[in-house]
Amino acid sequence: MAREIKLPQMGQTMEEGTIVTCLVKVGDKVKKGDVIFEIETDKATLEMESPGEGFVKKMLVAVGDTVPVNTPILIIGDENEAIADGGSPAAAAAAPAVAKAASTPAPSTEAAKPAAAAGSVAAPAGARVVRLPQLGQTMEEGTIVTSLIKVGDTVAKGQVIFEVETDKATLEMESPGAGVVKAILVEAGETLPVNAPIAVFADEGTDIGQDFIDALRGGAVAAAPAAATPTAEQAPKASTPVPTAAAAVKDGRIFASPRAKTTAADMGIDLRQVHPAAGAVRITAADVQRAAASGAAREPAGPAPRYNLGDIVPVNRLQKIVAERMLKSKQEIPCFYLNIRTDMTEVFKLRTKLNKGDGVKLSFNDFIIRAVAIALKHYPIMTGQLDGNVIQLADQIDIGLAISTDDGLVAPLIKDAGSKTVRQIAEYGKALIERARTNKLTLDDLEGGCITVSNLGGFGIDAFIPIVVPGQCSILGVGRIADMCMPIDGNIMVRKIMNLNLSVDHKVANGADAAQFLDYIKKLLENPSTFEE
Amino acid sequence: MAYSLDDRRKKPTPKIGDLIKKGVVTEAMALDWLRTIHEIRFFEDKVYDLLGQNIIKGASHLYAGQEAVATGAVAAIEMGDVIGSTHRGHGHCGAMGNKYATDAEARQMHWNRMMAELMGKETGYCSGRGGSMHIADVKIGNLGSTGIVGGNIPAAVGAALAEKHKKTGKIAVSFFGDGSTNTGSFHESMNMASVLKVPLVAVIENNLYGMSVPFCASPVEGAGCASNIEHIAERATAYGVPAMIVDGQDVVAVFLAVKEAAAHARKNNEMVMVEAKTYRWYGHSRSDPRVYRTKEEEKEWRSRDPIIVLSDKLLEEGLATREQLAVIAQQAQDAIEKATQFGLDSAWPDVADLARDVYVTETYADNVVEAEKTAAANAMKATAAFEAAVDTITAKTKKEKVELAKAQVKEAFGMDVIAIKDAIIAAQAEEMRKDPSVIIEGEDVGLYGGAYSATKGLLEEFGADRVIDTAISEAAIVGAAVGAAIRGLRPIAELMYVDFITISMDQLMHNGAFNRYMFGGHAKVPMVIRTEGGVGRCIAAHHSKSLEPWLVNVPGLYVVMPSTPYDAKGLLKAAIRSDNPVVYIEHKATYGQMGAVPTEEYIIPLGVADVKRTGKDVTIVTYSRQVMFALAAAKELADKHGIDVEVVDLRTIKPLDIKTVADSVRKTGRLVTIAESFNMCGMGPEIVRRLIEYVYEDGRTGFDYLDAPPVNMAAADVPPPMSEPLENASIPMTDTIVARIRQMV
Repeated sequence: MAREIKLPQMGQTMEEGTIVTCLVKVGDKVKKGDVIFEIETDKATLEMESPGEGFVKKMLVAVGDTVPVNTPILIIGDENEAIADGGSPAAAAAAPAVAKAASTPAPSTEAAKPAAAAGSVAAPAGARVVRLPQLGQTMEEGTIVTSLIKVGDTVAKGQVIFEVETDKATLEMESPGAGVVKAILVEAGETLPVNAPIAVFADEGTDIGQDFIDALRGGAVAAAPAAATPTAEQAPKASTPVPTAAAAVKDGRIFASPRAKTTAADMGIDLRQVHPAAGAVRITAADVQRAAASGAAREPAGPAPRYNLGDIVPVNRLQKIVAERMLKSKQEIPCFYLNIRTDMTEVFKLRTKLNKGDGVKLSFNDFIIRAVAIALKHYPIMTGQLDGNVIQLADQIDIGLAISTDDGLVAPLIKDAGSKTVRQIAEYGKALIERARTNKLTLDDLEGGCITVSNLGGFGIDAFIPIVVPGQCSILGVGRIADMCMPIDGNIMVRKIMNLNLSVDHKVANGADAAQFLDYIKKLLENPSTFEE
Repeated sequence: MAYSLDDRRKKPTPKIGDLIKKGVVTEAMALDWLRTIHEIRFFEDKVYDLLGQNIIKGASHLYAGQEAVATGAVAAIEMGDVIGSTHRGHGHCGAMGNKYATDAEARQMHWNRMMAELMGKETGYCSGRGGSMHIADVKIGNLGSTGIVGGNIPAAVGAALAEKHKKTGKIAVSFFGDGSTNTGSFHESMNMASVLKVPLVAVIENNLYGMSVPFCASPVEGAGCASNIEHIAERATAYGVPAMIVDGQDVVAVFLAVKEAAAHARKNNEMVMVEAKTYRWYGHSRSDPRVYRTKEEEKEWRSRDPIIVLSDKLLEEGLATREQLAVIAQQAQDAIEKATQFGLDSAWPDVADLARDVYVTETYADNVVEAEKTAAANAMKATAAFEAAVDTITAKTKKEKVELAKAQVKEAFGMDVIAIKDAIIAAQAEEMRKDPSVIIEGEDVGLYGGAYSATKGLLEEFGADRVIDTAISEAAIVGAAVGAAIRGLRPIAELMYVDFITISMDQLMHNGAFNRYMFGGHAKVPMVIRTEGGVGRCIAAHHSKSLEPWLVNVPGLYVVMPSTPYDAKGLLKAAIRSDNPVVYIEHKATYGQMGAVPTEEYIIPLGVADVKRTGKDVTIVTYSRQVMFALAAAKELADKHGIDVEVVDLRTIKPLDIKTVADSVRKTGRLVTIAESFNMCGMGPEIVRRLIEYVYEDGRTGFDYLDAPPVNMAAADVPPPMSEPLENASIPMTDTIVARIRQMV
């Protein structure tokens, strides 16, 4: 049976060795203890003895080569044993560590390449590293929710192996290939960047060294090239120094002993009002006490004791996402805001009529979404996104629906609302809400959209100004429907009035476009017969 | 018996068959020797492989080639005898484990634990704390390997001393290599063992090279030379003891020689030297190209492989067949393979246990600590009354005044007033009466009564078996104390000056302080090193230093430095009873200092400071004689300058009672440390660091309570000078302390 002979560590500090002399050639018989190489280490030139017996089948190094410790340098085997061109079976992939760094884009399992960088560990033959895929355009990192595999499992390509929570949703990650699970590098709850190694697969019977696994855990194995290291453009620019609070204190730094500060804090004394003793270089506790006795230096109200704060509310993942995305919106989307009052009396009548039958009950929101969808067809600019020098319009009208769940706020999409009737919208919306409340939304439910409809009328809100979802052009804030006296044709009529507020990305649309768009929505809602069912 | 040299290589080794007939050995023993040799060999070959794969890391001093020495010698000694090993110690540990293995399972477990230890696993003999160079199994009398050449010889002498003292009839065997026979430890130990007449067999494994330097000569051009003589055994003439030279490749020869030597040592309490000529197959370590010896020489020695030598005997004498021999080799190989798998499968030590077993955990009950505080305060009051009485009593002579004042104190407080030296004598005497395992050894401790009279009268009361005068051999004095302590005595070793501790620092640190930890917590070293330091007698730089910062830098040691007779007595008694090694440093200028001590028995908990004066403005933290200077300065500051100083006497400087210091600084806001040692990385800076980091129960730190920069007063950074004005100028004194504190407040 062929076996590799690896360069041994010949001394505690030896990391690599240079082949000075090779004392055997292919075909030679070697016994355990025969000197087979002379190796120059960091300390001396030493004779390397054969650790076993056999016939030299293949040389993997040449005189003059310098290779790291543990690199296969020779293959020995039985006298008549044939050795594949690539070396012994095990050596096929474990070429000497001088192998060139991989330059092809890495699939998400790559046959791990021995890394040339110092401190990295060469991948054992047959090891396939499974990396965290990018599950969605905006995903930069993912949290492992559940691992569905364990070491030793045989996994088929396409089998669900992890549940991963991204910035948008909890998703099932499918195995990119088949194999036996050799190691799982992550734990539930761990958050990792895209392309981070999360598991190692290999064929049955292949042994993956702990060193390699440890190195993967420690990041010592070169990441696949796709895990792009920041290029010059991407590298964060050196930030300009932010002025610190201390520099803002006009009087300059106050020198006081730690005890003086402690005493001042306990007594509620403002150190700026305390004068050091004549000739002293710092305020001491005695100075503070003197000042306190004089009564002059007490801080006006005294700072509230810092330990008197209330409970702490943990922020869940969803709220973190909301926080990030809303901040991004406020920073990147210059908005203007439009308000219009809409008479919903006709919709009210129509809805009452339609809901008398069987089938899904229609909500006011379903009518509003239908109206928005029609209006978007008329004013396609309102589906746009500024992309460099052009505005990219949407090819399908998907409308976000803001839903409050137990975990927080989500806004999944009513897909292709443009070609759906009110009832279809209602049916779709009902299913969508159910999915949202049971945490079953898919990435597809969440990515994209032209506009979001947010309705706080149910909470008694008359009108509010919503924040545009990044990636969309506008957002419609819907208030409650209230009976109001309206002058109509010289009479005072009681009508059902609703406020609509539209927040619009001014990078895409101007006031005139958006005003007409909003007015069109109003008109559609005031004449619902135009889009009945 | 005096020196004699028996070169046993000149006579043929008796046949095993004849030895069996005489009942000296059994056939089973001979076959087991071969198995042990094979096991050691396979073990070493496997270790070499695993080192190459980086599975075993660290040191790699392999015993292959020398197996007959450990196997023969360990087979020759009795159960209960003790051994000390070397940095090339796998063979000794292997043979000892086999000797004590009661069945096949125990034998396998022994090799498992050896391999696990080399791999650094929790299941190893020392839980991965020692590894190859510190492998030990103290409970069966294997006092372990050492990383210091010659480092374990003194401990073996101490172990032999302990066996003699306990009258167990057991001996110690000290294994060491040719390389160690040119160290001071070797000479000091051989001399001490021969003079003290302890049952020791010194087995010199002469493998011809101390790392790369030949012991006497080499045909290789450029090779150096460690000695002018060929046979180390000839050095026995310097110690007046018998010696032998034996073929170290022949297990039968080694067995017979060590058996005879052990019997002689056991019977006569006389040391015997056995030099075994042997050879190591591997280099000194993995990175050794072995350029200092020729291939011819290696080949010649390999032809006398201990496996071949013994196998040939067994075959020629018809005691075994080739098949039987092959089975033995296979069994040995299987055992090592299993051991390797055991090691690989074993868990790493938990890093949370990093500091486990540095010390034997010792705690004192709260009520003991509280009661001692009251006793200490009473002693201070009584001492103050004594000093006041001496000042006010009128009498013709000072002696008369003192006697009258003593009587007054006895009357008023029920306490005796004694000098520090008497407190030290009393502490030792009381503990020796109570515990027969307490012995004293060192220079001049006997008839002379100690250079500072701190052992006066003890020889008369306890005899020369327990109060042992030694040669001026500081390394051996301390090393022997370590060995004796591990073997169950509670030795007190006296070093005349702390300056001389530099000579014994290897023994004190590497064996005394570290053995417990390195051996996985299986050893304890309950010894006290008594010494004295400080300036004050104009005896200059080699007799006046304060080296406690060196000592507190050694994990595993306690360091105690008393300032009053009360503290001196109570702390020394606690130190003697402690299961940890304690360095107890007296001050040379205070042996005559008088103070009150209780008449009833008491001890002072180690690691508890004493507030010797309370105050509210400044905290002085100090110890030893500087406590007296600090108290005098505090009195002057209060009387003349209205500054109220608190004086904290640490008493034990390791472990350091930072809580008492921090509680005081919380009150005063100002810290002055005073030490007689050098300042750089010294006690003062350490106290400041610990204070700043100290966290009070309110979450604030020592830093938050400081109202002024801390001050460290210490010895000037000069070798202590002889001239009195210079000497006084080199350390803090009462007037300089007063001046510095007036500046601060």
